Amino acid sequence: MAIFNLKKRLIECKIVYYGPGRCGKTTNLEYIFAQFKKQVKGEMVSINTEGDRTLFFDFLPIGLGQIRGCDVRVQLYTVPGQVKYSSTRKLVLRGVDGIVFVADSLEVRREKNMGSLKDLQANMKEYGKNIFKVPLVLQYNKRDLAAQGIPLMPIELMERDLNRQLKVPSFEASAVTGVGVGVTLKECLKETLKALQKEFKWAQ
Amino acid sequence: MDIKQRLKSLLQEAEIYRSQGLISEAYGKYQDAEKMVHSIGNLKNKASLLNAIAEKISALNFTKEKVEKGPTSPELSKKAQDLIKNLFAFSENKDEDAAALDGAVVLAKFGQFDRAIEELNALLSRESIKVEAAKNILRCHMATEANQEAVNLYRQWHTEDIFQPNQLEQVRVYLVDALSKRGVELDLPSPVATIVDVAAGQMPDGQVADDSNDEEFLDITSIGITFESGPRKGKMVEFDVNFQSGNMLSLIISKQDQGLIEDLKAGMELREIQFYSPIAIFNGSGVVSSKTQIKSGPKQGDYCLDIRIKSN
Repeated sequence: MAIFNLKKRLIECKIVYYGPGRCGKTTNLEYIFAQFKKQVKGEMVSINTEGDRTLFFDFLPIGLGQIRGCDVRVQLYTVPGQVKYSSTRKLVLRGVDGIVFVADSLEVRREKNMGSLKDLQANMKEYGKNIFKVPLVLQYNKRDLAAQGIPLMPIELMERDLNRQLKVPSFEASAVTGVGVGVTLKECLKETLKALQKEFKWAQ
Repeated sequence: MDIKQRLKSLLQEAEIYRSQGLISEAYGKYQDAEKMVHSIGNLKNKASLLNAIAEKISALNFTKEKVEKGPTSPELSKKAQDLIKNLFAFSENKDEDAAALDGAVVLAKFGQFDRAIEELNALLSRESIKVEAAKNILRCHMATEANQEAVNLYRQWHTEDIFQPNQLEQVRVYLVDALSKRGVELDLPSPVATIVDVAAGQMPDGQVADDSNDEEFLDITSIGITFESGPRKGKMVEFDVNFQSGNMLSLIISKQDQGLIEDLKAGMELREIQFYSPIAIFNGSGVVSSKTQIKSGPKQGDYCLDIRIKSN
């Protein structure tokens, strides 16, 4: 849950990158760390990875500067995507203010995307939160692989699979090249801050 | 697309999946490619191609095994553990002991059991949190499948004087229940204490319980309710007492415990309650006097349950 320090005019919130294993959550954070130097407020920490698989989480603190008189700091996290790390995912999700759901565009990963979104919904429910009410943005990653002849799902199909009911903002992306990474984060931050403003009313 | 082109694109697809770390998907594509090579009659270098595919499949098998058999929660460096405590210990409590307990529990939740046990052991000397510290030490042992270690530790505590009898009884009840959930039914020695029956009007040192006089009631630190119906039938669930006024106890139930919230209805009679006080443990009964949802503050959404102790 976001921390609002009225005395210091400081807001600290948490955004979690969620999605199936190997969908590109860590790559998103790596790109943000490399390209958004001005906003990055510390080192990106990857807590224990096996090869390039996240076993615990990645963490990257960023700062958005002053927004309507408040210093806004954001903690970006990724969760481990593999099914067996369910309890860690749930722990990382605790107190989340906004979520980027990274879906894998590869045709062969269709089921995994849907399974992971369902898992997110279940975990949110356990924290007493409704997935329809939490600031959420979808990212359809790996769109660049179409150029290499790899079968990808059409966006319409991904929208139907994942966003038919949620109806949240969604973006095509290629985290390895950085396409769509910034815009996804920006939208999630916008939605999150909007929700926090509603809660704390700090900009009045 | 002719068959050789199809084979080429299949191998390319398999290689990309492999480079993406999608082991099963790459494995499937290499197997498809292998079948296709077998089906082509006049393919040059057929044997070497099959050999190359077999090597790829074997490498994938190795990676798959490594991923599957790798530890779920390897022990991390102290620096990483400190970061976990820093990021995930959400203690809203300014109390130093409670914050230390919170930090140790977070480590345990992330599977960092060795350090968690070390820190929890150090907390056994802090009166306000020693029971929770003890329960979490046992929880760490059971999480690593070392049930016997947990039992041995309890038996050791039973022979020492670290805990008051009522504290040790809480630990015992927790351990018996946790082991039972793991399919292990054990009778553990109960601490020597004065067990009296409030229902029969007996109190320690000849005191007589009288709910007309607040002064006569002992301070209750926690209670164990044995459910008579529902999914928890026959099970005892422990609650900390948040506030006591005479024979009225107030408990907080987390909003996450939906089952408990539903099971405990206002007006419900609780025939089997074990009361833990600093000087004695006693059995009795009570009535759920009210159940209200907390509307604001850090416990917003949780439920406050008032239980009136009944005595004759």
